[in-house]
Amino acid sequence: MANDRTDLMQGTLELLILNTLARESMHGYGIVQRIQEKAEDLLKVEDGSLYPALYRMEERGWIKSEWGISENNRRAKFYELTKAGQKQLEAERANWKRISKAVTKILQAT
Amino acid sequence: MKIEIANWFKNSNRKQLVFEVEDELRFHIEMLERKYAQEGMSAAAAKAAALRRFGSLERAMKQCVNIRNRNSRLRRVLKTSLIIIGLLGLSIRMLGSDLNVHHIGDILIMIAIAGRLLLYVRGLSPSNFLSGTNETCPSIVTEAPQDRSKLRGA
Repeated sequence: MANDRTDLMQGTLELLILNTLARESMHGYGIVQRIQEKAEDLLKVEDGSLYPALYRMEERGWIKSEWGISENNRRAKFYELTKAGQKQLEAERANWKRISKAVTKILQAT
Repeated sequence: MKIEIANWFKNSNRKQLVFEVEDELRFHIEMLERKYAQEGMSAAAAKAAALRRFGSLERAMKQCVNIRNRNSRLRRVLKTSLIIIGLLGLSIRMLGSDLNVHHIGDILIMIAIAGRLLLYVRGLSPSNFLSGTNETCPSIVTEAPQDRSKLRGA
């Protein structure tokens, strides 16, 4: 089975999280599920590695969190994008497009 | 007495922080368990699968607590104070004409640098240097398209 463990490029998980939170606030579990659903299971984010990323992003002011009640009536922490996060998302999107364009060009040239 | 009060506050804050982080991560594991149980797994198998899927709970907790601690209010106040002391020292050094005044500026700059280094060193923990605990480069698993049916069945 072709199951390759790959290190994400620095900042890629942050980009995926920012993009997921752009629509609505979500708890960590919801974020992972949404990413996998959108990637049609081609990408699997390591669940445990999501939280340090979320805490780091909150520290940077890109997202903010609030305790709320989940769909199964349990206390859960919900994250939402801040204005700084919105700006960061735009910058990260542009950066990703630039990198992917450059890599594609290089691959096509060889 | 003051130190005891400060320690009590520090410990109770830390306990509260650890409790909140653990509660958040346990919620995630419970949701995974629920999902696996709905897919037909037994309770024990669902729990094992959820824990496997989540990875090391302890490591994730430690990383989250460390990140939150380094951004504590006291730390932010200390960092800002050190910057102010450093800038004050620099201004005295540049504007002062007397040699003794220059020395005061030097001392303030040295205090600011030493304090900043101390804060940095105190923020380090062995986990920062161990492999597999890299926060900035988390792992993902990529699945080849032909294996997606297997993945869903797992």
